[in-house]
Amino acid sequence: MAKKTYDLLFKLLLIGDSGVGKTCVLFRFSDDAFNTTFISTIGIDFKIKTVELQGKKIKLQIWDTAGQERFHTITTSYYRGAMGIMLVYDITNGKSFENISKWLRNIDEHANEDVERMLLGNKCDMDDKRVVPKGKGEQIAKEHGIRFFETSAKANINIEKAFLTLAEDILRKTPVKEPNSENVDISSGGGVTGWKSKCC
Amino acid sequence: MEEPRVRREDADEEEDGEDEAGPGRALGKSALQLTAEDVYDIAYVVGRELMALGSDPRVTQLQFTIVRVLELLEALVSEGGLAAEALRLERDSLQQEVRALRGGAPPAGGQVDLGPDKMVVDLTDPNRPRFTLQELKEVLQERNMLKAQLLLAQEELLSYRSGLMPLRESVGGERAKEAVVTRARSPDPGKGEKTIMKKLFAFRSGKQT
Repeated sequence: MAKKTYDLLFKLLLIGDSGVGKTCVLFRFSDDAFNTTFISTIGIDFKIKTVELQGKKIKLQIWDTAGQERFHTITTSYYRGAMGIMLVYDITNGKSFENISKWLRNIDEHANEDVERMLLGNKCDMDDKRVVPKGKGEQIAKEHGIRFFETSAKANINIEKAFLTLAEDILRKTPVKEPNSENVDISSGGGVTGWKSKCC
Repeated sequence: MEEPRVRREDADEEEDGEDEAGPGRALGKSALQLTAEDVYDIAYVVGRELMALGSDPRVTQLQFTIVRVLELLEALVSEGGLAAEALRLERDSLQQEVRALRGGAPPAGGQVDLGPDKMVVDLTDPNRPRFTLQELKEVLQERNMLKAQLLLAQEELLSYRSGLMPLRESVGGERAKEAVVTRARSPDPGKGEKTIMKKLFAFRSGKQT
């Protein structure tokens, strides 16, 4: 079988209200591109990006969820396997910020206890339409003991930084394992079985 | 003692006016019940009383005025009658409609009283909901699994192309690839060879191994 092209695989998850820019944040990170047309994510999707941290090749498998209520039963089943969760709101949409507590409750309910969480206030390029002050985002993040970034997928602000920071935080608490013991059981929830064949 | 007398007088009056019973009764009616016929009756009564006043020219003058007033009254009464008739017809047809809606076979769409959590699906709508959440979940899982396999295969292909993979190993790689495919399918053996998409859309492929 092909040589292993990475040392670790981290499974991340993007959640937040519909239209806050989860897919755009991911698209900026994975493809370094931005699309202005709004296409609602159907249920769940994912993208892959390999990064190098502390001399280790880390494959990030990033799951992008639909923010719409009608997909919640599908999306919540993907929380369990996530090692890191990015909770995104839109700084021009007060409702999406108010809903953060609801999303945090969802994490408590459905995700692993030791999951790394991060809060992102997206669309920070649109300062003229801002309704959520940066301080409010910082405050709620502090209250929950999680990291916070204001990002812009459009203007490419803090996107890579956010993902790399989250990956670093996960790496920090990942026990160093033998290469073959592979913490890549990603079949839970995602159903991506056969993702990586452990052969020979 | 007086009361009975009064009653008797009333009775007398009625008897007196017996020949007027028809025409005179119109004046006792409520304005809303008045018909054109009643107006003619009133004209008759008024005319007779004017005649009794003699041929004083002032009476003649008054007669013209009264005739004009009666003509106006006639017009108003017959107009009102027509409007009332139109309203009556409308009421009848609306009542009939209500009866049809309540009683007879439920009209198109089936106006069933649904609970707050129910919805009506128009079976003729090409965009109507067709699949369950579970089916969507399975389709998405399969899509993501196939996407993962595709990415893996692309990665492998890239490593072959870039010469990372020696030719000698490629034979083994071939074999390993088969193993990957087998393993990929094994998670849902109960579903046999058919993918969920194929099941949902009832496609059949002859190329399955």
